Order: sequence, then structure tokens, then C-alpha cells
Amino acid sequence: MRRNYLSNPTTLKIDLMLNGIRTGGGLYEESSEQSGRAGLGVDLVLPKGTLVNVPSGDDFTKNSPYILKEDKKGHYITDGEGTVRVEVVPRPAFYNEKTSTGVLFSEIATVHGSYAVITPSPNCEFFDKSVECKYCAGNFDVDGTDKRLFTVDEILETAEAILKDGTSRIIYLSIGFSKGDDGGVELLAPYIEAVKKHFNCLVAVESLPPKENKWIDEAYALGADSVLYNLEIFDSELFEVLCPGRAELIGRARYLEALKYAAKIFPGGTVASHLIVGLEPPGSTTQGIDALTDMGVVPILPIYRPQSGKALRIEPLTAEIIIPIYKHLYKAVKEKNITTKWVREISTVTTPIEGRLLTGEYKKGVLSIIDGFYSSKLGMKAAWGLSALRRKLRVKEVEGKSSKSPKKTSKD
Amino acid sequence: MGFEIDRRPLWLLLIIRGLRPLFFVGIAVVFWYILTMPLPEGLSEEGRSAIAIFAVCLILWVSNAIPLAITSLFAIVLVPLLGVISRDETYGLFGNEAVFFILGAFILAGAVMHSGLSSRIALAMMDRFGASPKRLILSIFLLSAMLSCFMSEHAVAAMLFPIVLDIAKSLKLSPGRSGYGKLLFLSLAWGCVIGGIATFLGGARVPLAVGILQETTGKTIGFFSYSLAVFPMVVIMLFVGYVVLTRSFKIDVDSVEEAHSVFRGRIHAMGKLVYKEYAVGVVLLLTVIAWATLGGRFGLASIAFTSVVVLFVLRLVRWKDIEEYVNWGIILLYGGAIILGTALEQSGAALWMAEMTIANWASSPWTVIALFAFFTMLFTEGISNAAVIAILLPVGIGLAGRFDIDPVIITYAIAVPAGLAFLLPLSTPANAIAISSNYLTVKDMVKVGIIMSTTGYIVFNLVARFYWPLIGMGY
Repeated sequence: MRRNYLSNPTTLKIDLMLNGIRTGGGLYEESSEQSGRAGLGVDLVLPKGTLVNVPSGDDFTKNSPYILKEDKKGHYITDGEGTVRVEVVPRPAFYNEKTSTGVLFSEIATVHGSYAVITPSPNCEFFDKSVECKYCAGNFDVDGTDKRLFTVDEILETAEAILKDGTSRIIYLSIGFSKGDDGGVELLAPYIEAVKKHFNCLVAVESLPPKENKWIDEAYALGADSVLYNLEIFDSELFEVLCPGRAELIGRARYLEALKYAAKIFPGGTVASHLIVGLEPPGSTTQGIDALTDMGVVPILPIYRPQSGKALRIEPLTAEIIIPIYKHLYKAVKEKNITTKWVREISTVTTPIEGRLLTGEYKKGVLSIIDGFYSSKLGMKAAWGLSALRRKLRVKEVEGKSSKSPKKTSKD
Repeated sequence: MGFEIDRRPLWLLLIIRGLRPLFFVGIAVVFWYILTMPLPEGLSEEGRSAIAIFAVCLILWVSNAIPLAITSLFAIVLVPLLGVISRDETYGLFGNEAVFFILGAFILAGAVMHSGLSSRIALAMMDRFGASPKRLILSIFLLSAMLSCFMSEHAVAAMLFPIVLDIAKSLKLSPGRSGYGKLLFLSLAWGCVIGGIATFLGGARVPLAVGILQETTGKTIGFFSYSLAVFPMVVIMLFVGYVVLTRSFKIDVDSVEEAHSVFRGRIHAMGKLVYKEYAVGVVLLLTVIAWATLGGRFGLASIAFTSVVVLFVLRLVRWKDIEEYVNWGIILLYGGAIILGTALEQSGAALWMAEMTIANWASSPWTVIALFAFFTMLFTEGISNAAVIAILLPVGIGLAGRFDIDPVIITYAIAVPAGLAFLLPLSTPANAIAISSNYLTVKDMVKVGIIMSTTGYIVFNLVARFYWPLIGMGY
């Protein structure tokens, strides 16, 4: 007997991400393109402004109890027993536009709610080397084709289009594994600097951890406001099996070390790491939540979307099993006073703050006013200003810091 | 340019940043207060203005709130603006021979370094004489001292630093822990500091002091005379330095054979001695001889510039190469310091300040010398050598007449101790460079530096008291 999740937006979001949704005819065709190139899915706004990207069209969604329908009043979801009104997020208009060099913006960026992911380098060095992450179908070229790096100007044009569109206010610069000890910071440096120079927006960097902490300092000093090193799997054995490249070339210990260090450098609540729900036992994910929050890192828990030929999901995996994980996530960030204002309004994951709807702590009033402020344009400007001020205070330019041959000094 | 992430609490950083504007407001208040205070007896209006400028420069030089050279520019602007000295005279002072001598010395040192000659000499000497761990320490120590007799000590430290770092790495010394690692970098720093006081060329502070002396009294100090006066001190300090070095930290290596492979590798990479190195070496040698023998007749700056012209005529250097080695900020700093010193002297402010301070504490010429040397050494550990000279020398010269001391002696009493900085990394660039290796900690430097500073002070006073009268510098 299935439980009814329609009444709670967070449980509904989790169950929708787990089971997907069936759509009727033209609606499916229309909405499957919403998310640009980031896999199939329909972006919906559930009650209480809860954003969700619901898998649709994949094999595993065919048996979903949920159907997206439309009537005169608009869209609604039904599970056969009840209904809930939703909004279908329109496809961003800039997806159809091109850069001055002729590249579709949708090839460079994907909108995921309040943030947009820009991928300057559509390649990951793990691919085609038998060390790719077993579950990976992310933003990268899974065929391993060597695509060119997008230029700084192309990225700037894309960022401008995103910010003009207005949906997303945080630019995520995301890359896969790159050779070298810097975790891709050198590659991303010109993009971070250029975006920061031209726009008053927050920039997050999603990459693999550098081998040395100085690159984390560098990323912060360059202008990154947030950083994500996605551990993905907390269980050490499963990590080696499912992420052989990460395990071999970086190592789980380095992930944790880099996250711990980054949490000391970046503002509270801006260092995050994905733990994919459904690829390891719930107990292991819960341990991961505790370990990350102990370090001041925000765990982000996407749900694994099964793909044909990749039967990696633990079974059975139901909302009943994973909802406690999200409750635990909310309690953990709350107990450890980790700010959640950075990780919010994301369609592809259930954010820690959305977990409060699971614990019955959601109240209207002061809390929703604060939330509203953070989501508002003014709130984002305030966040940008505070972030810039913090960087100005924290980053000190020093002459001849490196131990290379010093030449001249001003003192004699 | 690198950066550091300051991890102190944000509230503290906010307060610190907020203090900066307040600090400058405070300086403005001090400046205004002195300018408008009732004129004390014995002080002219120009003298009061000069003291107001001096107070502002003193605070800025000591705090390092803005670059030292910019503080000097401040002095250059304010001195004529407040009518202490006319505008023409102010900018005329900037053209003091000492400033141009410093510029010439920078260019010559740059040419030597750019040619590779100095590195080649350093490597060859270390390879030749550094057979055992102790001898290698002695080689680095003496070599740094010797080279600092001919070029700015911080240029020597910067030049030898990568070589010494390679030695430490080749011997697999543990940074921060190895006693021998500490010794390597201390010998580099101390060699530079001690060698730097031996001649006019070790640092620009002596030419600066001579420049101020010349502008305020018309007297001067010759290249050779200076070296003769400080020679015993240099020898004693080198001896004491080596003894302290070898007894302060444990030598935790048995052999330095690996270091020699570094020397040979670097020498090999340099190839054979080329015409340019020969020629630059000859020009430098002739220049030093000319400074010692003809300096009084033709002027040190003229000789330096003649050599610079020769370098360019012979196409031994290009302007682009030289620009990298010339610290233009220092030129501004010294020009401003000379202007301020002259302003204090001419307006009578220096004498008035001396009367109010050191004159009350000193009872004899000997105590005046000892007091100036003490304050100079104290200040030089925290602020720029040049700033110390700019602050103390005009006061010292002002006081000289009162105790019937030759201003030349006062100049020595300030210019020489200004170079004796052993305690802290901020005392002198050579110390800062040694600390940047990470083999040496500030604690290590202070622990043994205090012995050297105390010894230096005692030795200076003994030399001044007993040796100087023997060479006609009695007081």
C-alpha cells in the first residue's frame, strides 16, 4: 500500500525524483527539452515554491504512479487517489540563442532553479580510461570526445544571458577531472575572474579536490564564493568500486581533507559535497551526512536516476527508506548551525532546508520572511556584497610569498 | 605577487581595516596640533613646521602604513608648501650626489648580477672551499660578506638564496628542524648584514647618511675612509658571527658531498666564462679602485656613472636588464630623507629636538655616541635603515656642536649601527629572505640574533672609543 505523498511538497519531491512522472503526449515533448542538455526531466514548481526536476521518459518512469496533467486551470499531478496543483517551469528563452561564435547557450549552460551550471570544458579526463564514475551521466561528454574549451568570451556571453533571464542568480562553473595538482583551478581561473569582473553575481566552483590546499586558497582569492567537491559515495569500499578514477587519482581521504580545509576558508554553508542517495545503503549516507556536517560542509543529496544498462541502484529503494535520510540531513545541519541559504531552490536535489517540511518545523512568519529575503534580488545583492567584503578582508596580497628567489624589497 | 588567506575572526579584520582611516585622521590631528601649538622658546616657525612634517614622516615610516618612498614624497611636497625651504632648493636637494651614487651602485650591481659573474664566483668559491659541513657554512658566511662589500646586501641575499636553498634540499635537510638547515640560512643572512656595513656599497644607508651630512654641514666621508673606520668592526663581527653560528645549532649532517653536485651542476649549466663576465668584472674592479682613490676628487656618483656609461658603450648590459635590478622606490625614499634632514637642520628644528631629548640624557661625547648607537640599533630592528637615518641623523648633527663632536663622528655612530640588524625578519631584507626558506624560524633568529646584536653594540662602542682616535677620528 503506497503512502500518499501529495500533501507534503518535500515528500512529493523525493518520491517524484525516485519514481519519475508520466506525461501526456505533447506535454512530454514540450517539457523534456526544458532542462537543456542535462538529461530528461520536467521542471515543476510544487506547493510552497518547491522546485523539482522530475525524471520523465526514462525506462524507470514508465511505472510511476504520478501523471502530469493539464486542465483549464493549469497543470496538476495525480497519483490516482489525489491531485496537487503544480506549475511547469518554462524552458529558459536563452536556450535557443547562440553566442557570437555560434554555440547554443544550452550547450554551455543548464539552469537548475536558482543556479545555472556552466561547463567551460565539456570533457572529463576519467572517460575512456576505464576509471570513469560508473553512474556518470552528468554534464560531461560521456563519449569521451575531445571537445574544445569554451572561450572566456563565450562563457561571459552565456553568464550574461543567464543573469538577464533572471531565474538563476548563482553561476556554477563545473568541470570534471583534469590532470595536474590544481583540481582545475588554473583552468577555471580566467573564467572566475572574468565573471566576477563583469557581473555582480555569486560564483560557485564544482570540481575535483586539488592535491594541495593552496589551490583552495587560490580559488577563494580568485573570486569563487562557494566550492563543491562531490564525494558522491561515503562508503569507502563502494567509493572505490563506483568511482575508481576518483579513488585512484585523488582518494577518499583527500576528498575529506580538502572539504575540511575549504570549510575553513570559504564562508559558512558555501562548501558542499554531493552524496548520491540510492548508490549505497542509507546508513552509510547518514554517516556521510554526519561526517560532512561535523566539518561544516553542507551535504547535498541527489537521488540516483537509474539508466539502462547501469543497474547500480540499491533495491528496494522507496521514499519510506530515504525520507529519514533527508530528515537526518535537516537535523544535522540545524544542530551544527550550518547555514543553508546557499543551497536552496535547486530543482535536481532535495536541499537541506526543504527537509524541515519533513520534520514539521515549517512555520510561516519570521522564517519565511528571512527565506523570502534571501531569495529576493535585494537578498542576493546583499549576499554578493557581503561575500565580496569578506574576500576583501580575508585575502591579503603579499609580495614574494612563494619561496622562489626574491629579488627586490622595499626595505634597505 | 602572492596572497594569503587571513583566517583571523572577521570582526577583528573589520576592526583592523576600520582602524586605517582612523589612523590617518589621527596623523592629520597630530600634524595640525604641532603646526598650531604655541611656539616653544628657541624654535622658529619654520622649525615648528619642520617638526610637524618630521612627526608625520616618523609615524608613517615606523608604521609602514604607506610605502616608505611615498612617505618621502609626502616630505618633498610639505617642506616647500609650509615654507621650511624654498621649492627650488627642495627639488635641488633631491639631486644630491648621494642619491645618484645609490642609483649608479644599483645599476652596477645589476650588471654584475645580470652577467652571471656574481653567481659564478659564489658557486666556484663554495665548491672550492666548502669541503666539510663547517667549511661550507664558513664559505657561505664569508662569501655573503665579501659580495656585500661590492653590492647591496639584500641583492646578495636574493642572489645566493636559491643556491643555499638547493644545498639544503640536496642534503635532504628537514625545514624548521635541521640544525644545519638553520645554519645555512643564518650564515647567509649574517654574512650579508656584516659585509653590508664594510663599504659604501653594502646598502644605500651610508651614502644617504653622507648625503645628509653633506647637505647640512658641507662635510663628507670618503669611500676609503669609511671602510678604514669600520674595518676592525667587520673583522671582529665576522669572527664572533662564525663562533656563534657553529655553536648555536647542531650540525646534523656528516657530509656535504651532495651539495657539491648542486654547485657543479649549476656551474656546468652556466657554461664557460664569457667575455661579458670578464668585462663586467673588470669594470667593477676599476670602479671600486677609482672610488677608493679618486672618490674625493671626482665624486663617487661621477665615478659610478662613468662606469655605467662604459657598461653601455661596451654593450655589456641593456637598459631593460638593468630596470629589473634598480629599486626606484629607494631613490625616492633617499631623496625625501635628505630633504627632510636638511629642512630639520636649516630650520633649527634638529637642534631644538636634540636639546629637548638626548642632550638631557647625555653627559659626555662618549655617551652621546653610545646613546645614538643604541637608539639606532633599536629602531633599525623595526623600521627601515634609511628611515632610521632620516629620523636620527638630523637630530644627531644638531646635537654635535653642543658636545663639540665632529658631525662626521655622529654620522658614523648612526650609519654603522643602522646596518647591524640581526634580530628580526623585518629588520633587513637579508633576514627576511633567510626566514622565507622555512628552514629558519623567527624564534631561532631572535635566539641567536640577540647575542649578535649585543655583541655588535659592544664592539661598535669599543671600536669608536679606542680605534677611531688612532685614525684621527677622536672625540
